[in-house]
Amino acid sequence: MTALLDVRDLRTTFATDDGEFAAVDGVSFTLEAGRTLGLVGESGCGKSVTSLSIMGLVAKPPGRVEGQILFDGADLLRMSVGELRELRGNRLSMIFQEPMTSLNPAFTIGEQINEAILRHRRTSRAEARALTIAMLERVRIPSPAQRYDDYPHRLSGGMRQRVMIAMALALSPRLLIADEPTTALDVTIQAQILELMRMLREEMDTAIILITHDLGVIAEVADDVAVMYAGRIVERAPVHALFAQPQHPYTIGLLGSIPQLHLQQARLAAIEGQVPTAMSPVRGCRFHPRCPFAVDQCREASPPLADVAPDHAAACWRAPLPWQ
Amino acid sequence: MTTLLRVDSLVKHFAIRRGMFGRTSGHVHAVDGVSFDVDAGETLALVGESGCGKSTTGRLVLRLLEPTSGSVHFQGRDLASLDGDALRKLRGALTVIFQDPFASLNPRMTVAQTLDEPLALHGLAEGRRRERVAEILRLVGLAPEHARRYPHEFSGGQRQRVGIARALAVEPRLIVCDEPVSALDVSIQAQVVNLLRDLQSQFGLSYIFIAHDLAVVKFIATRVAVMYLGQIVEFAGKEALFAAPRHPYTHALLSAIPVPDPGRRRGRAILEGDVPNPAAPPSGCRFRTRCPHARALCSEETPPLAGEDGHAVACHFWREIAPPAALAGTATTPRNRRLEALQAAFRAASA
Repeated sequence: MTALLDVRDLRTTFATDDGEFAAVDGVSFTLEAGRTLGLVGESGCGKSVTSLSIMGLVAKPPGRVEGQILFDGADLLRMSVGELRELRGNRLSMIFQEPMTSLNPAFTIGEQINEAILRHRRTSRAEARALTIAMLERVRIPSPAQRYDDYPHRLSGGMRQRVMIAMALALSPRLLIADEPTTALDVTIQAQILELMRMLREEMDTAIILITHDLGVIAEVADDVAVMYAGRIVERAPVHALFAQPQHPYTIGLLGSIPQLHLQQARLAAIEGQVPTAMSPVRGCRFHPRCPFAVDQCREASPPLADVAPDHAAACWRAPLPWQ
Repeated sequence: MTTLLRVDSLVKHFAIRRGMFGRTSGHVHAVDGVSFDVDAGETLALVGESGCGKSTTGRLVLRLLEPTSGSVHFQGRDLASLDGDALRKLRGALTVIFQDPFASLNPRMTVAQTLDEPLALHGLAEGRRRERVAEILRLVGLAPEHARRYPHEFSGGQRQRVGIARALAVEPRLIVCDEPVSALDVSIQAQVVNLLRDLQSQFGLSYIFIAHDLAVVKFIATRVAVMYLGQIVEFAGKEALFAAPRHPYTHALLSAIPVPDPGRRRGRAILEGDVPNPAAPPSGCRFRTRCPHARALCSEETPPLAGEDGHAVACHFWREIAPPAALAGTATTPRNRRLEALQAAFRAASA
């Protein structure tokens, strides 16, 4: 089976006053139709820049995107602006963290979804309107025909995110990138949105890249997980293996850092120190200054992402870690 | 246990003003009859979603806002009766840590200046303020050299440490922590949560810990008050609240939290709809519009917050409502000995 999305050695750099900074530094992964890949990591790990690179939304300059992003076999990085525009909002779609800043306050929500449909499909206005209302209903917006004429400020945060999802899925995209779609929402609303995404995925067979810092959300929704740290994927595995048998020290520390409802924790296993920044790059493995397992090799050379078990890769010289 | 703080029937209504003459067209019932007390050395958590009134309650306790009615007694004295010097003195014993340390630190003051100001104001560490600043920085895990730096030179986690240092400088008894770790990355959040616990046991501090994240609350709290639309709907010791939650809203909150364990994906009690408008709260029980168990009585009569054994709940029918199946057995995840052994290395490194 050929992958729907095949990202090869993606490198996105930004020109800064202090030289070039690689926000994404050699990231490769594949995603098959209908699967959900969770991209997890903390601020500055490069997860959002990865998604913006795929969508062709990195401003150039100061940015530069290298590598290959094969979508249905065609390299997005070689496409013209017009070709990309044809794909975006159509077969390739994205939702963002803050729905209020992604919706236009001057147009009704119905008009905004309509616009996307009319841009990509030869339909009449009446048909587009009907499709929009059907879509609003599908994302469980109550009385969608009336809501069609509402402006974004009239809706709650959860409702706005539903509108964004309706807009993103109106044209049944093959790939949806969801960047922290529930981070700005309260937990009971987050639960509603996650449930909705799960349901729609089953109905539409859309592949999803879910970007989040929340391992709980990953555990609930993802099929496969890629953990990012300082611009690189440090571990990649099916979701069950990642949580049961994490291999990279960063993943292990991250799991120990979160307070968990169903565990008795005397003290959190916090990861000391902080993420390296553009101003303080790290030689060797980028995690070694914070890693309790680091040895000399880690300080000298950067480990490649290599299989530790079948279908389970980690970028760590010391994997599999001895523990008994 | 000595009671440090007593909050009694606290109410805060904000006027909604419309038009060019600022005519009052209604009131937002931000906090509506909240009572609790805080003992020395304990952590009382106020949890709930946006708009539940938890932060407003914190501000009322600090007297950053004046209550519409009700009272706050701190160390036996009525806060409303204090002004001028007495209030300033009190602000030494009762202080605050905010969510966003970047917004709450003065960008034009070095850390030394930020910490020196409260010392001078309260006449603390006379003659050895420089040493005291270095001491406080060490307490929060920063180095004395950091004193010369400005807020923008720190990462988010370090900035929150500066915020904690500022709160500690005045040698407080009670710190109101308003979402102190919500803006931080998880690995940093864990550092700060651990630090708050260490400081508490070292100095016998009390915290009012305002948060929306029940997992963090479970880790840090002694007692928990769950708030919804300006009122406390459930109040209990931590163990009791998490082992046997009684209010249907607490059930919903607990089951809404995504659990970082893919083996535990479950059918959950998903609440329909949004929080109602606090300017026009529902009659009777405020949760009834989203409650799957609501009956006629719930719209007619407001359930009082009541209960024996220190576990109070504001629900007419809590005895008949079982927690959702997904919550049962929350303590029975099998241990992962390999993971625990490997995580012990992180604990050892941070100790």
